[in-house]
Amino acid sequence: MNIMAEIAIICGVCLVSEVISALIPAAFPASVIALVLLALLLFAKILKPEHIQRFSAFLVANMAFFFLPSCVGVMEHAPAILRQLAPFLLISFLTTPLVYLATAWAVQWMIRRARRKEGRSRD
Amino acid sequence: MTDVILTSPFFGLTLTAAAWCAGCWLQKKTGLLLCNPLLIAVALIIAVLALLDIPYAAYSAGGDFIKLMLGPVTAVLALNIYNQRAILKEHFLPVLAGCLVGSLTSVGSILALCRLFRVEEALTASLLPKSVTTAIAMGIAESHGGVAGIAAAAVMVAGITGAVFAPLFARVFRITEPVAEGLAIGACSHALGTTRAIEIGSVQGAMSSIAICVCGIITSLLALFL
Repeated sequence: MNIMAEIAIICGVCLVSEVISALIPAAFPASVIALVLLALLLFAKILKPEHIQRFSAFLVANMAFFFLPSCVGVMEHAPAILRQLAPFLLISFLTTPLVYLATAWAVQWMIRRARRKEGRSRD
Repeated sequence: MTDVILTSPFFGLTLTAAAWCAGCWLQKKTGLLLCNPLLIAVALIIAVLALLDIPYAAYSAGGDFIKLMLGPVTAVLALNIYNQRAILKEHFLPVLAGCLVGSLTSVGSILALCRLFRVEEALTASLLPKSVTTAIAMGIAESHGGVAGIAAAAVMVAGITGAVFAPLFARVFRITEPVAEGLAIGACSHALGTTRAIEIGSVQGAMSSIAICVCGIITSLLALFL
């Protein structure tokens, strides 16, 4: 597929998502709507992976690069962060293992329970 | 001449691309996880702007072009989900339940801690989505009166914590199921953690990618009710 056609498809999905985001009354990021929309198009087989393969590969391979300007934007807000540096760092560090623990235990418990049930029905 | 340079969008574009290359080079040279290309590049750009006393607006004239691409970058994560649809189908319920538990824990614990420390509303709104991938986190933060830049910083801290300590977490919390381990890494530390999950194993890497997307969607939905 022509690379410009790939760009047209992906940018078109983003454009439609911005319209949807503006139409729904709640604040919902257009980028997440674009993610869902593109996934729906793929699962419905309206789009094939090869229709967006090359542009997607380029974006994902350089994903972190596109976040640079937003991160540099932090310097505009340095005073606000520095004023509350302790809670900022504490909350950012503490909640990460907590989320890991909750997610991993929930999933592990569900998988093991399903496996036990399967084992029992086989007996 | 300085005027021409500082008003041209090419200034921000050149600086960003050059700083990114320098960050990648340093990561390759040292192999240190803390020499993350994103961290190095951000530090370099901020250092250049601060040392030469260049206003942020001069940089963002070019930076805004790159920022514009965050939409497409997030959208194509859909291809990630689609490519791993076989694993997703096999473990559909645990994936959904796990991401829901993870997102609830994240938002709940951040809200509780912010109340405990009497954190300003703007900072609370910026910290709230810190476990999800940057593009989504910034969108959620901004739509709740937070600051996208602060959200991005918190997302970075969470990502690096997960990427560095993921194997330790698995040992300490006795997580032996690859599916559970991968989902947990993606739920707490998004794309940055996923780079480590892929090193641990292919199932962990796949599940972590799925968790980035599902937790991003669930957290956006949760944020609607706050």
